[in-house]
Order: sequence, then structure tokens, then C-alpha cells
Amino acid sequence: MAKGLDIGTMNIICAEKEGDDIVFMRQRNAFMKLDSSDLTKNMLDTSKVLYIEEDGEISLLGEDAFKFATIFEKDARRPMSQGIISPKEKEAIPIMKLIVENVLGQPRSSHEVLYISTPANPIDSDMDVLYHKKTMEALAKSMKYDTHVIDEGLAVIYSELSDWNFTGLGISVGAGLTNVTLAYLATPLMSFSIARGGDWIDEQVSKSTGLPKEHVTTTKEAGSKLGKEVKFGSADGALTIYYDALMTYVIQNLNRKLAEIAPPKVAFPVAVAGGSALPEGFFEHFKKKLIETKLRVEISKIIRAKDPLNSVARGCLIAAKTQEEKKYSKINIIPKKEVPVKKHKKKWRK
Amino acid sequence: MHKEWENEDISESKGILYRGELIYYLGALIFGSGIALLFIGTAFVMIFTVHSRSDPEEIMLTTILVASGVALILIGINTMMRQTKYGKYIMIVSSLLSLIAVLSFVVSYYKNYWYYPLISYVIACYVIGFSMLLGNAFANITVWTIRGKSEVATSGRDTGKIYTDEEIERDIEEATRKSMELVASELQFEIGDSDLKNIKVGEAFYESRGMVTRVKDDIDESLILEHAISPGETEKWGSIGLDKASMQLSKALEEPTTEKKRFVDFKERIGKRWRKITSFLRSK
Repeated sequence: MAKGLDIGTMNIICAEKEGDDIVFMRQRNAFMKLDSSDLTKNMLDTSKVLYIEEDGEISLLGEDAFKFATIFEKDARRPMSQGIISPKEKEAIPIMKLIVENVLGQPRSSHEVLYISTPANPIDSDMDVLYHKKTMEALAKSMKYDTHVIDEGLAVIYSELSDWNFTGLGISVGAGLTNVTLAYLATPLMSFSIARGGDWIDEQVSKSTGLPKEHVTTTKEAGSKLGKEVKFGSADGALTIYYDALMTYVIQNLNRKLAEIAPPKVAFPVAVAGGSALPEGFFEHFKKKLIETKLRVEISKIIRAKDPLNSVARGCLIAAKTQEEKKYSKINIIPKKEVPVKKHKKKWRK
Repeated sequence: MHKEWENEDISESKGILYRGELIYYLGALIFGSGIALLFIGTAFVMIFTVHSRSDPEEIMLTTILVASGVALILIGINTMMRQTKYGKYIMIVSSLLSLIAVLSFVVSYYKNYWYYPLISYVIACYVIGFSMLLGNAFANITVWTIRGKSEVATSGRDTGKIYTDEEIERDIEEATRKSMELVASELQFEIGDSDLKNIKVGEAFYESRGMVTRVKDDIDESLILEHAISPGETEKWGSIGLDKASMQLSKALEEPTTEKKRFVDFKERIGKRWRKITSFLRSK
């Protein structure tokens, strides 16, 4: 029994093991205010919409907030911005507590191990993530979880690079930030983030095309395609351009950061994950750019996460299970047996 | 003579030979010319076998060549060296003196005026010029040698690493980050329910946990990660367990087993009884 929690700017995803399956619970990290009335509450209860009522005001939470915002052409409010708790949202922490409680649920055992993902400090901004990290940790601990924190990039490495002994580059292209971690045998050598992600792309596309930002986000998530052939007047062209700009920016910053460390002389595989890496054509484009830019480390392989959206949560779950095994093996003083690791094909369901 | 050097900044000194390329090459040329003239003059002395009764022209020629050669050698050496203000003047004056002496010799010897006290004056003039050039060169070398040693001595004392601005900034950032993390780790957040007392949640809040996706996955990476993180760990018994085991072993080796004991006892009892019986029978 262990859980992994990916606290992202756009989505909060919990991963837990149930039998032979992993169950991912995903909720949008957003909320929207509505005026309260009995009729509204009845309608929301009937439709099984996630909401809370406080001081005569209703706050829709999660995916429903996003949907209602799109319908009423309002802006859904986001408790997080650029990967951390939004300083502009006074209600950010209470709302996040509620969304996290909803997604995470109560611990299944006393002091169940929980690993939560946090971003690394950005290198292109003077933002500091320490307060966000400690707040999220305290939030989870208040729910009686044995909470630990892990970098997003490292979670991607745990999830995707087990065949390479957890050695390589993990890149998580999120909504608020793009996190990058370089690890050698599960030990992080370098960890940083870039203050650009899916939200930055949406903003730029919105400014260029005049389309509302939520519309751009919805279009992007509905299945946009990055490519040279685009429909005139659609957001696809602008998305392609700004995705390209984001990729170039990430790779150049990565190369700059690699100059500051002395990594071991081995070939590193690269794993790419994150919700903003979902659009069709993203991975091929990114791979091409990465190969063209001769990085200061040798790249052996570039792989796309099997499930980019849930990869970070899965990595957190792996870390949590490992911690749990360690915890219980110490208590029971049972000799560890060499468990033969069988590699078999994983079946991923969409 | 070289007092002004005491006030010079050591950091500006770049060695005794630092004069700039042109002056250095000029000095080298003068030095080379001097050497050449000296060699030629020496060769002529040997060829003409110059002595007190040789031809005046031969004597004059060889003297001019040797004297000017020696003077040019010293002028060349001084030109190649880094001079102070006064050093330059000394060099100029001494060069002129040597030149004047050589020219005076040429004129007076040629016009048959080569008599005392003119000879004394000319020789004195040449010797002074020669000595000043030699002394100037010697003084330069001595002062630069002393200064070089004192630079080495002072730099030898300063064994600390020279940090670049980037390294200093990184060290400061690292120290600040550690300090912040320490403070943050000591914080005790009270995220109580006081902020959420007036909140009523909807019916769906406890019924659904968002969009649920179920995936078949045995997540064997956790086992691999466990071995990757701590490959050497197997068992943890500690010294107490080891002592206990060894005590049990030693006990087991010393004492016979219960079954063996029983058999031994039985044999002894049988033996005793047999001895009793035999002794009884014997008595009978």
C-alpha cells in the first residue's frame, strides 16, 4: 500500500496499486465561483459536479470548473501558477487542500507512504520553489500520510528508465514548468526547471490568434497535431510555432546547464513525458531537435513515455513502493531475497 | 640610483627583459654588432700580430674595433634590460663617454697627438663609460633578482585559491539554499480545519475521485529501484543476534543431546545392576 501524487499546475494525479492494476485518479487543478442558490446546488448534486459552498458562494472544483468556465466563457481560476502555489490566489491553499483530499482519499493504512512530486528551481526566473514544496508536504502530512518529496524529472526517470538502471535524462513538459533531471543509477546529478510550459504556449497562441486561452487549451488537448501542414486560421499553426520555440528554449538551457557539471562519461538515454508532450508530432519534433543540438553528454536513445500524462504519478508510486519495502524490511528484519526481475511487455490501456 | 623602484607596483613588473619588441631587437642588434666587432678586432690582432712596434694604422684599427666592440656589447645588454629613468640617463651618458673616448683616440692617434696627459684622459673617459655601463647592467640584474625573489616569497605565502565571481556567487547561493531548507524543515505548519469550518462540500465530493483510469501494470520497477539504491544490503542482525547464535552453538557442541544422555544413563543403570547381581552371586 503506497501512493504517488503528481501535483501539477493543470492536473493533480494520484496513482495507487490495486491488485494487478495501477489506478490513476486525475482532477483538474482549477476552480470557479458561482452565486449560491438552492436550485444551483440541487442541479450540481444531481449532475454529480464537484463543488463546495462557503459564505453563500459556490466554488466548482476540478474538471467541472474547467468545463463550466468554457461554457460560460469565464476564466477558471488556478490555485497554481508556473508550477507553484499562485501568490495571486488568496484561496489557493484551501482549494488545493480540498482537491488533493478528493484525489488522494484517506490513507488505507496508518502512515501510508506517499511520494509527491515537486518542481526544481527554475534557472530562467528568480522564483523559489521551497515554500511550495514545504506547503505541499505539510498538506499531505496533515492527512496522516508518511510524505516524501521527489523531483518531477526524477519521477520520470523512475517510471521510464528502469531498463537503463535509472540512468539518464528525465524531461517532464508540464503546464507551468518544464522539469529536467539528469540521474546516474537513480542518484540525481542535476535538477532544474524552466519557467515555460503548456500555459506559456497557450498564452502566446491566444495573444497571436485572439482566441481565448481556455479555447486554445481545449483545442490543444482535444488532439492537435504539430506539423508543417496546418489549416489556415486555426490555432494549429501558432501551436506548432510556439511548441518549436519552447523545445529550442528547453534544449538550449539544458546544454547551458550541462556545462556546469562534470557528468560521468556514459551515454544517457532521454525520457520525455508530461501533459504538454501529448500533442501528435511533439515527440518526433523534439527528438529531431535534440539530435541536431549536440549536447555536452552523449545521448544513447530518446524515448517517449508510454503514458506521458501519468508518467510522473507512476514514478512517484514506484518511489513510494520502494520506500515502503525498505520501511517494512527494517521493521521485520527479514533477509531480503533476490527477487528475479522478469521483464515482460507492459500493456497500456488508453 | 634605483630608489624609484621601491615605489613601483610589483604587480606591474613583468620581468627584467620586458621592454617591448622593437627595443629588444635593437638591443640585440647592438649586442650582436659589438660581438662581431670584438671578434673582428681580435682576429686582426692575431693576423697583424700587433705589438708596440706595429704600424700605427694596424694598431689604430684593431684598437677601434676592440674598444667599440666591447662598448657596443655593454650598450646592447643595457638596451635589452628594463631601465628606470635614471638608468636610462646613465646608459646614455656612459655610451657617450665610451664613444667620445674612442673618437678621441681615433683623432689624436691619427694626428699624432697620442701623448700624455691626453692618453690618460681618453683612457679614463673610456674606463668610466665602460664601468658605468657594466655597473648599470649589474645593478639592474641584482635589483630584478631581489624583486623576483620577494614576489615568489609573497606569492608563496598566499596559498589560498583564487575564486571567480561565478564560483563565489554559486557558493553563496548554495549556502543560502541550505540555510533556507534548514529553516523550512523546522517549520510546523498548522493546516487545521479552522479555514474550512464554514465549508460545505457537495454530494459528489466523497463519491468520485476525479477521472479514473485503470491500467494493467505490475510495476516491477520498484524492485529494480530497490536494488539500484541499496545493492549491498541483505540482512541486518547485529552483534546481539550473532552472540546469541554462537552461544547456542557452543552449548550444542558441549552438552550431549537429551537422547544420548538418556541412553548413557540407561547403560549406567544396567551396568550397576549387573554388577550388583554378579557380586551377589559371587557372595553366594
